[in-house]
Amino acid sequence: MSTTRKRVYGYLAEFKSASALYKAAEKVRDAGFRKWDCYSPYPIHGLDKAMGMKRSILPWFVFFGGITGTCTAFTLAYSTQVVIYPTVVQAKPANIFTVPAFFPIMFELTILFSGFTVLFGLLALMKLPRLNHPLFASRQFHRATDDGFFIAVEARDAKFSPEGTRSFLENIGGASIELVEEEES
Amino acid sequence: MSDHHVTSADIPVNGEHLDPAKVSKLKTICLAIMALGTLASYVVFLMGNNPSFQKIAGIYSYSWVFAVFFFFTLSIGGCFWTLLHNVTNSGWGTSVRRIFENLGSTLPWMLIFAAPLALPQVQHYLFEWMNEHRAAVGPSREEALHHTNHLLANKYFYMNIPFWYGRFFFYFVGLGAVIIGMRKLSTDQDKDDAPGTWRLFKARFHSTYTFIIFAITITFAGFDWLMGQDYTWFSTMWGVYLFAGSALNSMAVIILTAVWLKNNGYLKNVVSEEHFHVKGKLLFAFTIFWAYVSFSQYFLIWYANVTEETKYFLIRNTGGWNTGMICLVFGHFVIPFVALLQSRWKRNWNILAWISIYTLVMHVLDHYLITIPERGISLGNIEPTVFGKIQPTIPGAFVGDIIAFVTVGAGFLFFYLRAMGQHALYPHRDPRILESANISN
Repeated sequence: MSTTRKRVYGYLAEFKSASALYKAAEKVRDAGFRKWDCYSPYPIHGLDKAMGMKRSILPWFVFFGGITGTCTAFTLAYSTQVVIYPTVVQAKPANIFTVPAFFPIMFELTILFSGFTVLFGLLALMKLPRLNHPLFASRQFHRATDDGFFIAVEARDAKFSPEGTRSFLENIGGASIELVEEEES
Repeated sequence: MSDHHVTSADIPVNGEHLDPAKVSKLKTICLAIMALGTLASYVVFLMGNNPSFQKIAGIYSYSWVFAVFFFFTLSIGGCFWTLLHNVTNSGWGTSVRRIFENLGSTLPWMLIFAAPLALPQVQHYLFEWMNEHRAAVGPSREEALHHTNHLLANKYFYMNIPFWYGRFFFYFVGLGAVIIGMRKLSTDQDKDDAPGTWRLFKARFHSTYTFIIFAITITFAGFDWLMGQDYTWFSTMWGVYLFAGSALNSMAVIILTAVWLKNNGYLKNVVSEEHFHVKGKLLFAFTIFWAYVSFSQYFLIWYANVTEETKYFLIRNTGGWNTGMICLVFGHFVIPFVALLQSRWKRNWNILAWISIYTLVMHVLDHYLITIPERGISLGNIEPTVFGKIQPTIPGAFVGDIIAFVTVGAGFLFFYLRAMGQHALYPHRDPRILESANISN
């Protein structure tokens, strides 16, 4: 008694080689698709350019994350060492001129906060972690970690059409094109 | 990824050569300035014992050592990048390696400008310890110093005049031989019809132990010429500090040269924005390294609070010099750090060229603050009858700094341009030239 409904995820097309994938990616980009991705067993130099990927916003997150770290460290060190409980060590002053002693802490917290922003910003932007991906329903897709080069065009793309996209992928050299459906209970 | 994949058809059989007409005028001007300035400076130094020249010679000695060491760091940085490139077996930089070698090859010529430091007339003003050594008479100098200056007696194994002269000439002869040999290995390949790889392996092998010569040269030249101006002061970070500035700013010069050559239509196929990206990353790395080392030095001395050591920073954090030191913190670290974080700016070679010029200006400030604050302090101490009482700055002395800087700078530029015109602009028969031309990062 199967009551599962299926939802179309999109088309998955296989390409012969990395260079075929690269050239196909340029054509998909030029055709104006937005929601699509390339899958390859290894990184391909310049593929981001061929896909027309925009610059990530992550560096800005990290920049402000780092600044937050610097300010946190300064506030923490200054308020404890100068304002709340000044300690005189080796006749060193407890005022704004104590700042050289805070530099290592400021540096460390800058790095720590930047690192955390990179990690969590990256996870957020990539929508990770996730338990499953619709493409895992495809039988051939596991080859993307071995010898397969794939392009998947998602159905939620505005330019997607069941026939048009299929013939388009065929035209740019895609083989064994498969309509991937994700199961929805 | 470059738009066009470079193949051997894009590399001229005889390589690209600098058009002599393009630089002949500049070279002549540089040669003239260098010849006039150096001659005039030599006259001033040789007449240093003459009472009427004493004041100028004393002040100008410090100007001269500032200018010489500034350009010395750039030359020695060229040697460093050549050796590092060889020893790490790097492929990316083959197309810019000749620039490293040309920059390094100016090192032996720096002896022309450093030679006045070997004159007793100049040493009299620069190196107080030498005066004490020369005045010490007894069964042996070390014995005699025991009674007058115990610190100098303790440091005698290193700080003695014959050893100083030995080291002085070794800096140029030792590292000069290294860089000339490396450059010759590389340029010989240009004319070999069957270049093969044996020169690369040979260069890699000989770059390993010669790194020791490099390290000795930059460290001990810094000890002898700069730290020796105040023999009571010592810092173990000193050599590393000078090395950091040297590697950083020679990379800035290399970037500027590459941009200049590219804007003149050379290196079109072999140097792409990828190379500038790598060089920009190295510039970025050494900006941080410089800040790290200079802060470590400051911080250790600040915390340890040993009188002899804090003296250095006490002079430089007093009065107007303090403004310069704070400028260094922001100008030499914070601003270039934020600017070089941008990968887009590293890939755009015109922007990178501006950052490099800025870095070099900061290097001038850095070396100005290393050498010049010592001048007023030392001269009033060494020759109170001539220079009067000890003062932080000597009015009007900056004119000499500019003259010395322009003179040595013109000489440096002349020898650099001369080296560039001698051989092909990149090693076109190097087996790795295509790998380098097509790099992507």
